[in-house]
Amino acid sequence: MADVNITVDGKKVAAPAGTLLIEACKSAGIEVPSFCYYPNLSLQGACRMCLVKVEKMPKLQTACTTVISEGMAVSTDTPEIHQARKSMVEMLLGNHPLDCPVCDAGGECELQDMTFAYGAAESKFIDIKNHREEQQWSPVVYFDRPRCILCYRCVRVCGEGMDVWALGVQNRGVSSVIAPNKEDHLECEECGMCIDICPVGALTSGAYRYKTRPWEMRHVGTTCTHCADGCKTTLGVRRSDTGMEIVRGDNRDKSGINGDFLCMKGRYAFDFANHEDRLTQPLIRKDGRLTPSTWEEAFELIGRRFKEIRDSAGGQAIGVVGSTRTTNEENYLLQKFARVALGTNNIDHHRTADFPALAAALRGKPEATASMRDVFKAPAMLLIGNNPTEQHPLLAWQIRNNVRLHKARLYVINSEPVKLRRQAVNFIQIPVGSEGNVARFLSGDDSAAGSISNPTATRDAWVALRDKLRGEQNLVIIFGSEIRGEDIASLVKFGSAVPSAKFVCLSDYANSRGAADMGLYPDLLPGYHPMSDAGKWRDEWGGVPQTPGLTLPQMVESAKAGNLKAFYVVGANPVGRLGIDAFSFSQRFVVVQDMFLTETALIADVVLPAANAYEKSGTVTNTCGDVQFLQKAGEITGAKSDFEMTVRIADAMGFDVSKLVPFSRGTHSDMGQSRGAQSGEVDRHGVWLEAQGLEPKMSPFDPTAILDEIQRLVPGYGVSRANLLAGNDQHTTLSGSGAGVQHDPALIAPANDTLFTSGTLGRYSRALNSVMENRQKQPAEEVAAD
Amino acid sequence: MADLVSHPDEVRVVSRRFGQGAADIDRYLQLDGYKAVQKALAMQPDAIVNLVKDSGLRGRGGAGFNTGMKWSFVPKQSAKPKYILCNGDESEPGTCKDRLIFEHDPHAVIEGVVIAGIATGAHAGYIYVRGEYRYLLEIMQKAIKDAYARGFLGKNIFGSGYDFEVYWHGGAGAYEVGEESALMESLEGKRGIPRIRPPFPAVVGLWGGPTVINNAETLASVPHILLGGAEWFAKLGPPKNGGTRLFCLSGHLNRPGVYELPMGYNLKKMIYNVGGGIPNGRTLKAVVPGGSSCPLLTAGEIDVSMDFDSMMKAGSMLGSGGVVVVDDSTCMVKFALRIMKFYRHESCGWCIPCREGTDWLDKILVRFHSGGGLRKDIDNIQYLSENMLGRTFCPLGDAAAMPTISIVKKFRKEFEDHLDGKPCPFEKAGAAELAMA
Amino acid sequence: MTVLKNIAAIAKGMSITFMEMFQPTQVENYPDGPGPLKGAKFQDRFRGVHVLQRDENGLEKCVACFLCAASCPSNCIYIEAAENTAEHRVSGAERYARVYNIDYNRCIFCGYCVEACPTDAITHGHGFEIASFNASGLVYRKEQMLAPQPAHMGANAVFNHAEVASGELGVR
Repeated sequence: MADVNITVDGKKVAAPAGTLLIEACKSAGIEVPSFCYYPNLSLQGACRMCLVKVEKMPKLQTACTTVISEGMAVSTDTPEIHQARKSMVEMLLGNHPLDCPVCDAGGECELQDMTFAYGAAESKFIDIKNHREEQQWSPVVYFDRPRCILCYRCVRVCGEGMDVWALGVQNRGVSSVIAPNKEDHLECEECGMCIDICPVGALTSGAYRYKTRPWEMRHVGTTCTHCADGCKTTLGVRRSDTGMEIVRGDNRDKSGINGDFLCMKGRYAFDFANHEDRLTQPLIRKDGRLTPSTWEEAFELIGRRFKEIRDSAGGQAIGVVGSTRTTNEENYLLQKFARVALGTNNIDHHRTADFPALAAALRGKPEATASMRDVFKAPAMLLIGNNPTEQHPLLAWQIRNNVRLHKARLYVINSEPVKLRRQAVNFIQIPVGSEGNVARFLSGDDSAAGSISNPTATRDAWVALRDKLRGEQNLVIIFGSEIRGEDIASLVKFGSAVPSAKFVCLSDYANSRGAADMGLYPDLLPGYHPMSDAGKWRDEWGGVPQTPGLTLPQMVESAKAGNLKAFYVVGANPVGRLGIDAFSFSQRFVVVQDMFLTETALIADVVLPAANAYEKSGTVTNTCGDVQFLQKAGEITGAKSDFEMTVRIADAMGFDVSKLVPFSRGTHSDMGQSRGAQSGEVDRHGVWLEAQGLEPKMSPFDPTAILDEIQRLVPGYGVSRANLLAGNDQHTTLSGSGAGVQHDPALIAPANDTLFTSGTLGRYSRALNSVMENRQKQPAEEVAAD
Repeated sequence: MADLVSHPDEVRVVSRRFGQGAADIDRYLQLDGYKAVQKALAMQPDAIVNLVKDSGLRGRGGAGFNTGMKWSFVPKQSAKPKYILCNGDESEPGTCKDRLIFEHDPHAVIEGVVIAGIATGAHAGYIYVRGEYRYLLEIMQKAIKDAYARGFLGKNIFGSGYDFEVYWHGGAGAYEVGEESALMESLEGKRGIPRIRPPFPAVVGLWGGPTVINNAETLASVPHILLGGAEWFAKLGPPKNGGTRLFCLSGHLNRPGVYELPMGYNLKKMIYNVGGGIPNGRTLKAVVPGGSSCPLLTAGEIDVSMDFDSMMKAGSMLGSGGVVVVDDSTCMVKFALRIMKFYRHESCGWCIPCREGTDWLDKILVRFHSGGGLRKDIDNIQYLSENMLGRTFCPLGDAAAMPTISIVKKFRKEFEDHLDGKPCPFEKAGAAELAMA
Repeated sequence: MTVLKNIAAIAKGMSITFMEMFQPTQVENYPDGPGPLKGAKFQDRFRGVHVLQRDENGLEKCVACFLCAASCPSNCIYIEAAENTAEHRVSGAERYARVYNIDYNRCIFCGYCVEACPTDAITHGHGFEIASFNASGLVYRKEQMLAPQPAHMGANAVFNHAEVASGELGVR
């Protein structure tokens, strides 16, 4: 479309037709102030701050509602305009409480900024201000009406953005007030978007209220550790007696894949990090009781026992379970440790999606996976299974807003009437468990239509839908873990009939995709290479065990039979989450690395306190395959990263650590990222390194040391390091993957988390458990068992 | 029900059926009822629009836009249905003309709506009656029911093959909804707040369809234009100000009431001749010429012709025809306060200057009138009003600002008399409470 | 002539010396003087150890806005904020300082904190005898700097103008 030329303050500006004047000015570097205007939300024209002079118009015009037209001449800074803005601020401040010293927004308040920029130094107002008592709308949302400037951003982001419509306006005139949907409280998704978008301190966060001030915190942009969407979240961290305290999570940094979005978990559920149940020192079972001990003793014991078992019974007597929340580096290191140091392929993780099948189906198909950003831009989307609103809040946001802003077409096929059907042009409800039949039908197998047809969705309707989908361009096909194995191949077959179709496979945990990509499988090396295709790794590592190892259920059986002698669990809770038989391991040597004394940790012989994703750096891959960097926010006294622990165990086994982490080769500049702010970690590493006679500047505890190897060897991960460290997301594709393997679909156990649960982590978040919408509160006895 | 008044200078067009029981459909038919709509059905739509354009009929709601012109903005072809909307949300203090029309001549409004529909190609019309006029709603409901029963509304009206549906809607008591876009919001069941314009209602209006919104008096005039002709109507008033107008005389007058006078009638004559002058031997202090939103005229400024253009020249507005006469026993500070209380109460709260400005002004004026005024407050009142003027989302802010500015400018002395803790000089005199409609 | 000029100049200079010799002494008799301040005298504007003021209801004026900490050039103020509750009300506003430390190892008595304070909660007292052999004792806690309850709240009237010296409450 041809650009429209306008003149702003004598400066020539060209912008696409249909651009709003306020955006055109912004693109020309001219700031037009506003409260109520917010990109991608409906226009209001309510705050009157963006008044500008448009030539030939008698009155000042609002730049936020004026669409530019050819030859328009605009002035944004005349005495008249300045006076108008000044008077708007004056009038706003009339009833504003001016309690900036106690207000949470003080220091990052748009009204403060506007007052500095445009306001008057003195107030003409001497009358009594209108007052209303502050209200608590939910455990996490507070509303202070006097501070509210009625910009209606919260109402719009809740309704238009979140499709929740929990906020509205009551009364009129000066007694207008933002009101929650349930008279005096909110019942909503508790995403807290209203708080983030509030330009002043009217909506405040229950978690952060009155704790500190914005400039007192360090703001660390990292990636959320809850679901598999990988939202960028900015943590406000301040020092505390336990090392650090995360006091706030928000998305100040709107550059992430989530843009404006953050859900309840990303915003509030960081509080597990400061939970008082966190382990702060290693525990060793002595006389049947887990007894606090020292790190040296713990590493020595683990190293000795692992070495004994490996040397006496062979590597296959040791089972390793990896995590779906640890970083790619840690996962890669763990499987390398298992395969190289322990000499076993017995490595598995909690599988929540069938990525190997997808990798196999997409092999050699470039550009066949969609990034999270692609979902926002796709002209059409097909969603089969899953309930993104609950399990993938960001994905749901992308879908919803793609429909709202870009008029994208959404097709939903689900066994439940999921909320996203409200955005769908076509919603078909199918019997539970027949998602696979849908995939087969779409791929052209008409015999599958029988099981999915019903009076509301007849066979003809299905055929019509399939034809319609085949006619779509750039369709993004999003499917949940209901579709596994052969069905994924069917779906990909259907996709190849659609021009430029892309796929998103939905998994459940923060780094489920990374765990799969990094080869936490007994029969797959990183990048979905089967054991028969181990060439690269054999060269790199100097040998890889040939036979596929045991899956997690097989490990349990093997332990029961007495063949498996040691069990090494890193950041997972198979006893609690997968219901494996804890008694199988009663006479085995079990090592657990975790933050809490989980059900699995309770059966361990050694429990090592682990750092969480906010306390270390590294990369994680979200369910779409977007790789992002974790920025270390700080560290808790007493915990170590899983990376460090694995390296130390290898060292204690007498294994040459430089064979595990190639820290003596290549460029390992981590640009200070992994060292963290506290000097403790660096010092600790320094002491150890010096004792080993190594040069401290190149550390085997530096995850980026192994990132080199990952980038070199794992297909798709050859992304720009500088971009990663800068906090940008980068998409990896599966086209270069190995051949993959067909797995038993029963090995996949979806987490079935909701907006208010997050696996084992969720139960340690007070915020998540405090909201009334959390319908899956832990029964009392289970909490007691923790 | 208000008593009807009359005066020899009156030219009865819109009010010609007042007091004759025309709310009854049979009586209405005897009084040339529904003849105009039948004539319209025989005409080309463009011809109707041109006829109304030529008649010089201007919107009676206050803005005074040429009605025929407004109709001509409606696109001929539209994917969405077109609507006619009759604005009967008459809430302007000092104005009570639509009330009489709804009470005495409801069918004229219906007829006007249908004619507007024929002229613009719409097939549905809404008559929005002010919430406080609950008792008039019953009359309107009956009128619509009767018209349907006779086949004047619904499918195939008058056997012409043209379909037209008319619906009534009662407001919930908001002045703001008299603003056309807020009226549409209210009709759609939302909060009564104005919409962003453009797009204008003629293009995107009710339910997204092109919509003509006219004042009840405007629409009630239309049948008479069709029957009497454009030339006749135009000649009733001065150039470009066709026809007559219902003037609502209230305040300190001997004979208050609603009078239908030709456009351009002299204001002074209206007060002293038609209205019977000021009672109790008092003298005139100020006049609100067109409802409370208009700048006031002082006693020396009232020798003006009451048409849209002359009033603009005189520094005020014709507005909605509500002439409020204020005698010398009235405290102008209290008058300003009373007006501001109204606007503070009626502000929808959407935009900052109107929401906060009216509240602030109300607070200052309350304090000022009760003796707590400071000299700088007088300037503050003017400062605030001037900063509201022209910067609000809809004209309500202007409506609150304009009379206030004119009062401060023209009666500054009275404000100064309230300073230094002195009690209101008029309270002692025991002045009667100003009655506002 | 130059000699005479020089002598005159010397005489002029010495005259001031001799004049000052007979003026009363300006040196304070500290620390041997009378009273709790041991003879020390201050201008009102003297910037000594900080005093955290209370309002007329005996509540702390400090609302933990952190502006003092933000303005402090030597970064010596440490605050932890907490929210007042109906049962436990410490300050007049929503927030109060649960912890308020000033590290006198670092404080340069510039008075920026006092200027920055929006509630006039922090002021400079006249306490100056804070030298210590123990650096850790120089981190003053809120309780050491807080003004006592006002007289009408039951405290001694002498404390109304709180004087804080050596980390203990002094009496004028």
